[in-house]
Amino acid sequence: MKDNTLSGHAHKKDGMIVVDVDVHAHETPAALAPYCEMPWRKTLEHLATVPARYLDIPGFAPSIQTWPSFPQSGGDRRNTVTSAAQMRQDLDDLGVDIAVLFPDHLLSHAAIRQDDYAVALARAYNRWLVEEWLTEDNGLKGALIAPHHRPEAAAEEIRRYASHAHVSAVYLPTCTVDPLYGHRRYDPMYAAAQETGLPVMLHSVTAVHPNFPFNLQGYETVFAAHILAHPLALIANLVSMMETGVPERFPELKIAFTEGGVGWVPWIMLRMDKEYAERRRDVAVLKDRPSSYVRKMYFATQPIEEPEHLGDMATLLTLFGGEDSVMFASDWPHHDFDHPSKVLQIPLSDAARRKIMGLNAMKLLRLKEPAQ
Amino acid sequence: MNASKRAYPVAKVGDLAQGQHMVVAVRGREIGLFNVRGRYYALPNACFHQNGPLCKGAVSGTIIASAETGWKRTWGREGEIVVCPWHSMEYDVMTGQCLAYPKRRLPTWEVRVEGDQISVLM
Repeated sequence: MKDNTLSGHAHKKDGMIVVDVDVHAHETPAALAPYCEMPWRKTLEHLATVPARYLDIPGFAPSIQTWPSFPQSGGDRRNTVTSAAQMRQDLDDLGVDIAVLFPDHLLSHAAIRQDDYAVALARAYNRWLVEEWLTEDNGLKGALIAPHHRPEAAAEEIRRYASHAHVSAVYLPTCTVDPLYGHRRYDPMYAAAQETGLPVMLHSVTAVHPNFPFNLQGYETVFAAHILAHPLALIANLVSMMETGVPERFPELKIAFTEGGVGWVPWIMLRMDKEYAERRRDVAVLKDRPSSYVRKMYFATQPIEEPEHLGDMATLLTLFGGEDSVMFASDWPHHDFDHPSKVLQIPLSDAARRKIMGLNAMKLLRLKEPAQ
Repeated sequence: MNASKRAYPVAKVGDLAQGQHMVVAVRGREIGLFNVRGRYYALPNACFHQNGPLCKGAVSGTIIASAETGWKRTWGREGEIVVCPWHSMEYDVMTGQCLAYPKRRLPTWEVRVEGDQISVLM
């Protein structure tokens, strides 16, 4: 494997604990096949013979690339991590102590249309994750895939692994999910997460669909789709969860949003409060303004906004109490990963910086400080 | 040439064919050394964006779409653009100009060739 280009780029930590709430384990169909139940194991064995492109295998990662691609980053930077040992090395190079693993291909899990297969894939991934990636006390933590296609099965997965020492979260595949995550069919999933204390983490990806989230399939470039697919998927689901009162009906449920940046948070929060003033009766399940619930949710930084004046980011965080709810995320090793230094450069107090770089995530994930 | 600058030998002519580039160390700094059609250029191995190792990226052309091309996407400037391996930020090898940010230009250093010795003036 070629040099990953990270060497020598670790930041000075000064005793700071750095938690990265979004890194990606590369799960190939061949890797998952031995963990998958029949008859779906046959599907994965077959898919293992399909030439793989980045994050795109038909029937496994059903993203449709409808735009022409021009060559992007040069050099030999790899964009997959295929083992726990390799991930640990990369995290050391980045200066990260603890990280939460999400999948690669199964970022598109919500787009799979056959419920039995979707559930089997999630179960296989969870087994594989626990047996191949979460075997040591080395700072690697896992997010289970909740097969929301069948919420009772998702609840079973959550209860099955909740007591595992290194399972720290429930991943809700977000882009193209239908119905949106506020639908009451998902209640059993949220009940299990609340009961076990595992947070749910909505994670976005670039995928477009004729009706989700709105007609983004009409764009002609990745530039346009990538700008909006991620945050709009998160926003659409947040509004859905607010509409049916998920945070009121599951008051102990911890909810986090990853891979949409944070710039959208104050905007949607204020939009919801504005509407609530006039239409409280529509959402009588809420006991206070939507912003009061948003302030208890968590938001991952990546892809962090990069205004010309970084002080604007500090101001933005104050608009929604971000000092206590924003968590550093790198998205390593994906094309748009953020180096920790980009977040460290935001002019914040030392206390706020420590919260955003690690302590907020430790609170969400119920983590203890690693032994020095 | 500024008389206060010193020439730091970094490579031999045979080390760097046309179209190639390499990263060398000068006074503790990592410098990208480029050979574009027989002329040599030097840039810092650090992208302004997130400090990625710019000069370990590939050199290529780029997409140009302007009034001159009738607003159509065309391929041009082959061999003159270096692309950061971290997030694909593009720079003009010869001037250090960042293509995406008109106000961002990396420092450049003069490169001297004497005999088969390539030196960076710093």
